[in-house]
Amino acid sequence: MTAAATSTETPPVLLQLNDVSKQFAARVGLRKAAVSAVDGVSLTLRRGDTLGVVGESGCGKSTLARLVVGLVQCDSGDVVFDGRTYRAGRRRTRRDLRDMQMVFQDPHSALNPRATIGEAIAFPLRTQGVSRAETEARVDEVLARVGLHGNYRSHYPHQLSGGQRQRVNIARALALKPKLVVLDESVSALDKSVQAQILDLLLELQVEYGLSYLFISHDLNVVEYMSDRVAVMYLGHVVEECSAEELYRAPLHPYSQVLLESIPKLDPRERGGPSALTDGEMPSPLDPPSGCRFRTRCPFAMDVCATTRPPLVETRPGHLVACHLHPVPESATAGDPIPGEQ
Amino acid sequence: MTVWPLTKLAPAATPAAAGAAPAPAAPPTAESLREAWWAADHAIEPRPYWREVRRRFFTNRAGVVALAGLGLIVVTSVLAPLLAPYDPLVGVATDRLMPPFSGSHVLGTDEQGRDLLTRLLYGGQLSLLAGFVPTVIATVIGTAIGTWSGYKRGASGTVLMRGMDMLYAFPAILLAIAIGASLGGGLLNSILAVSVVFIPPIARVAESATRQVVVQEYMEAARLSGAGSLRLLRTQVLPNVLNQILVYASGLVGVAMLIAAGLSFLGLGSQPPTPEWGYMLNSMRDTLYSAPVNTMLPGLMIFLTSVAFNTASDALRESMDMRLT
Repeated sequence: MTAAATSTETPPVLLQLNDVSKQFAARVGLRKAAVSAVDGVSLTLRRGDTLGVVGESGCGKSTLARLVVGLVQCDSGDVVFDGRTYRAGRRRTRRDLRDMQMVFQDPHSALNPRATIGEAIAFPLRTQGVSRAETEARVDEVLARVGLHGNYRSHYPHQLSGGQRQRVNIARALALKPKLVVLDESVSALDKSVQAQILDLLLELQVEYGLSYLFISHDLNVVEYMSDRVAVMYLGHVVEECSAEELYRAPLHPYSQVLLESIPKLDPRERGGPSALTDGEMPSPLDPPSGCRFRTRCPFAMDVCATTRPPLVETRPGHLVACHLHPVPESATAGDPIPGEQ
Repeated sequence: MTVWPLTKLAPAATPAAAGAAPAPAAPPTAESLREAWWAADHAIEPRPYWREVRRRFFTNRAGVVALAGLGLIVVTSVLAPLLAPYDPLVGVATDRLMPPFSGSHVLGTDEQGRDLLTRLLYGGQLSLLAGFVPTVIATVIGTAIGTWSGYKRGASGTVLMRGMDMLYAFPAILLAIAIGASLGGGLLNSILAVSVVFIPPIARVAESATRQVVVQEYMEAARLSGAGSLRLLRTQVLPNVLNQILVYASGLVGVAMLIAAGLSFLGLGSQPPTPEWGYMLNSMRDTLYSAPVNTMLPGLMIFLTSVAFNTASDALRESMDMRLT
């Protein structure tokens, strides 16, 4: 779908998460507790690719996004970005942040209401010590590139529509010419028609600037449209990771199957009755189930699921799943733990 | 999705076709339409910020009246030596407590036979000083403490805010008296005392406003650009909390005048016989029944000044907040 997917050789790895975990301290009554937001996640993003992350709200998607850019420091594990390794607790320097930017979810609160559009886009450039003249030129360039008239420079955020504001957010992220853009539910707050415009803009910009996206969303259709590979998250675990095409054609993990079934369908003949799989609520992340975290809602739950956490293993080439229903094939145990794009 | 730019621009978008044939010809490309649309200037060049603020301020009648009144009070106080008909310190013992409009005393005389108009004009100098200076000092220090604590949250913020709470636990006037007494009398010390009294409440307002700002996504976005704490406070936090702080602080100007008056009554502020509205109000309180109008005049001046200040600052805040239209 994107340029990288059609190229013949495998592009180099840009971002790699190795067994990253993050817990937040919480207080329940007088008792101290820990919310396990992200638990032992390993992911790989290649240069020029888009890695989609899907899951219900509360599954740790946004924490994952913030871990990658360093707004949240991970407790354990490390993040390797563009050859630099960030072990747990190592902060990003100002120079590092040039290469990774983020587009936030809410176009209303992501822009300082007291700053004009021009000031908002220029802010990261000025912070990074880009000269005044260069800043001016760069602001003009990115504004035009995201399809906004130059006069919007002196407008305030409240004078813009939601779609325009999200364009400004994208422009701000692009101003530093980053290598990685983390898109955290970046189109969720927009109407469908505006969503389509923004998604197409993102795809155009990806090719033009050679960007890599970490695309986080709860909307499966949007993720399929944008992503080369998709990781499905449930309660802080990655339960399945494979190419977007394969996930939608043949999901292996029971949770992925539930998610795909929950996509609203246009054709009434395709609509089934209420799915037996969608029973129950997500367990509290304060007290996650032992073993496989999905077992409390899984129709195929077995005894082993309560005792052992299933490892994320490559059951088919390029298709990783963490489920006791899909044990490791004998022949695939050896080899590169990070699968390449097929 | 308005229709007018497209219909209006359809001929302009396909100039070649219009010349060759009247029938609808080559459909305009998306690019040509976009350019034509932009050329129609759909993003209006906005007016400069401060010119717009001024225009909006002058449409607010109450604000303009308040600003004019405040200006009048300040100017007459400053020019008191030129305007005052009498000496503010010398009274005539036989002319005590004359009612307003009696003879040459337009506003009457006080309990020592001194011309009230003269004393009110001169008194404005010290009263305005005692009202504004502590408020400004406390706003600057309180804002610094409050925004830092609200932004940092950690040990330094907690220590600062708990310290503020300790000061806040005392009644304002009692704290001012305690500080004034330990520093000794004089106008400067009373200004210092009132400043200290005002820092905790302003710091609290600043802290709670800052806490609302720091959880917004634009703070995260700004942090993601690698900006340090001071830059974040200056560019992201301060512009968004200043409104609330200024509104609160403007209400303190009148209170500051009253506390300063109380201090001078106790012999801790400006020393008699130097005229000052609060001191005048206190010194005439025994004559409230025999000459009510005379007694109330200094109080009226304090009231008018603080109301004018509040109204003008409200109007300024409204005209600076572009989201209110």
